[in-house]
Amino acid sequence: MINVFSQLKQEANMGLFQLTLDPQNASKGPLVMGNGDFFIEIPAAFGCSFSDLTLTGANGTALPNAAELIDKGTELGVGSRLCNAIKVACYYLEAGLLRTPDMIMTSNSCCDSMDTLGNLMNAYKPWAHVPKFKMDAPHSFDDESYGYFGKQLRQAVSFMEEVAGRKMDWARLREVCVESNKQRQLLLEFQELKKAVPCPAEPDLARQGTEYATWTLDRVSPKVTHWLEQLVGATEQRVKEGKGIDGVNEKVRFLWQDLAGSWASGTVLARLQKELGAVCVMDYVSYATWTPIDLSSEPAMFTSFGKRFLLEDAMNRQALHTTDLFCEDILRIVKDFRCDAVIMPAHIGHRDTNSRLKLVRDMCRQKGIPCLVLGMDIWDKRYMTPEVAFDRISTFFQTTGLL
Amino acid sequence: MQSGIESPVFDKFAQVSASIMNPAIEAWKQQGGKVLGYTCSFVPEEIFVAAGLMPFRIRGTGSKSAGMADDYFEAANICSFVRHCFSQVLSGEYSFLDGAVIGGGCDANRHIFDNWKKSPVKTPFLHRIFYPHHSGELMAAYFRNQLSELKTGLEQHFGMQLTDQKLWEAIRFCNEIRDLQKELYALRKAEHPPISGSETVAVILAGCSMPKAQYRADLKALLDELRGAQVPANEYKARIMIVGPGHDDTSICDIVEDLGGVVATDLTCFGGKIIFGEVAESGPDPLQAIADYQVLNRPFCPKNLGAHPFINKEIFGRIKDYKLDGIIGQTFLCCETWSGELYILNKELKEAGVPMLRIEREYASDSSGQLQTRIQAFIETLSGGAL
Repeated sequence: MINVFSQLKQEANMGLFQLTLDPQNASKGPLVMGNGDFFIEIPAAFGCSFSDLTLTGANGTALPNAAELIDKGTELGVGSRLCNAIKVACYYLEAGLLRTPDMIMTSNSCCDSMDTLGNLMNAYKPWAHVPKFKMDAPHSFDDESYGYFGKQLRQAVSFMEEVAGRKMDWARLREVCVESNKQRQLLLEFQELKKAVPCPAEPDLARQGTEYATWTLDRVSPKVTHWLEQLVGATEQRVKEGKGIDGVNEKVRFLWQDLAGSWASGTVLARLQKELGAVCVMDYVSYATWTPIDLSSEPAMFTSFGKRFLLEDAMNRQALHTTDLFCEDILRIVKDFRCDAVIMPAHIGHRDTNSRLKLVRDMCRQKGIPCLVLGMDIWDKRYMTPEVAFDRISTFFQTTGLL
Repeated sequence: MQSGIESPVFDKFAQVSASIMNPAIEAWKQQGGKVLGYTCSFVPEEIFVAAGLMPFRIRGTGSKSAGMADDYFEAANICSFVRHCFSQVLSGEYSFLDGAVIGGGCDANRHIFDNWKKSPVKTPFLHRIFYPHHSGELMAAYFRNQLSELKTGLEQHFGMQLTDQKLWEAIRFCNEIRDLQKELYALRKAEHPPISGSETVAVILAGCSMPKAQYRADLKALLDELRGAQVPANEYKARIMIVGPGHDDTSICDIVEDLGGVVATDLTCFGGKIIFGEVAESGPDPLQAIADYQVLNRPFCPKNLGAHPFINKEIFGRIKDYKLDGIIGQTFLCCETWSGELYILNKELKEAGVPMLRIEREYASDSSGQLQTRIQAFIETLSGGAL
């Protein structure tokens, strides 16, 4: 019998493969391109493909020729310490390998490297004729900020209408939002189930589910909803049976407080789980804090879009805001998911994380939570090899008495 | 190539810019004056001046090691300028500050606030504001609200009222200083400028490091001296413009000018960027006037997604006005916003046939020999000399 989780993983991987260069270029219909995340319900309802060039670059680092792509990005000279996912994206752009979009939407969310990519996209001469829209994602999370960003998203709709010469179908946008709310609810349910000890399902499925539901061309479609329903159903069954992940004798539960990147989950995290029983029960893309989009009125809808984008989008939540919020999330996750330790990969391209390491360490020390800071490159395994990362983490678990 | 100004007024500026604490601050504090530090050029000094506070732009001057800050900011991955500045905070160099406003321009800079707040350095007033990453009416209105919060915070902490009248007066006052600084810059359009690039940096740095009224008077006096100065027609090899982020020391200018070049102008966060344009001096709302200036009229930070056309226009304008031979784009390792901007600029300058040298460096490092070699080669190329 085929394991349902393996099947789901395969489906999600096929969906995520769409985010690599060739399928992105082959997408049909109007194309909106961004330098990062956008509020995907909007292009989905408008009938546009949306391509996040950062993700295309990030997915490039998972390809067999990743090292070559990263080196070509470095050779451009955009900045020697630029995040390598962005370097690959810059290379795709500057080498003329991308399909010309119909519109470009850039914002500062959520890091300086992505800003740099946005600036390159906006200044790219062959795309000088492409209409552009720019947004400011504030580093604050309150009603004023949600309203402020929501207004910009409303302006983005007007911009798209003007460029495309057609109107947004508001009924369709509502339908998409209803579907989106359903999917987010399912992700939250899956997250609740993951609190069980032992962890009932491959933690990576949460990350894949979020990425599948947020970023792929299938986003906010019933296909993804069905995928999530199957995931929740199968996980519920496991929890009822008190079963953990197949073949894993769970001994340690930990939080990986960064992106998994393109190589860590298949190498380091998989080995830790299989060989040591150390399960990464949460990472910062998987951590869901979704609230439903308020459909009571157009302004309410856009304000809740603003909130979802600024506070609930996983990477914006962790990268745009205060260290207090970052630390509060760590504490909440550790408590709710019964984590024994926190691993801070401290990706070299994440200026925000690298600016708050002392405060995270101090907090963990104060609360008695073992914390390891790695300082790795989540897109380029030449910087810290999987073997070295595995060795450092396993040594950490041994020295802290967790193994 | 220093101009060799012999002027007690200039000596005062040079002294003030060469260190963090200086006699002008000591005198101000002795009279009961308060000093408010700030980071980033978009933090409006006008509000500080209206509140009767002396603005001090936080810099890393004198820092030999960022060791203390490296605990907070991972050394390999965070810009050395931010680390050195914060190291100076931690080492007590800024203990004279009565407060600080952190302008969250880039990712590293905005985290100074969180780290400062949790550090052992207890500064009585700490506030932060964020620069919008795009320019538009909506962003200017949002930034205006942040300025309003800053105003309220200052009123509550320092126990005073910031009336519109005080704000308009401060706006006019700061515009006047900007006009004087522009005049100083304009003097360098001359074939043989009466003041060098390094000396200009010192004068501009002093402007955000000493009481403003005193600075205005001193700058007027210096300009009087410079206007009538007999400038020797020394030969030089090339006229250069420096572009990039925090340029709070004279090191690059010194190298260029020691090698026979002239730094005729700059567009940096401590120099040419801060003297651009002026704030509207009348209208319904002084805070909106300041916000419009920073967000709509002067978006020179590449963290702003709309900044590039402004930066490009300004640079190409200066190439003509200052008769420039080449551009040196200098930035710090890990400053990707400026690295990206310099990459774009380089392409455009190349198309226009304007030579550019891009430098990624560490703040306060020992690599001046390497810099010297690269800059020397660049200047020789510009002057048609043998390499």
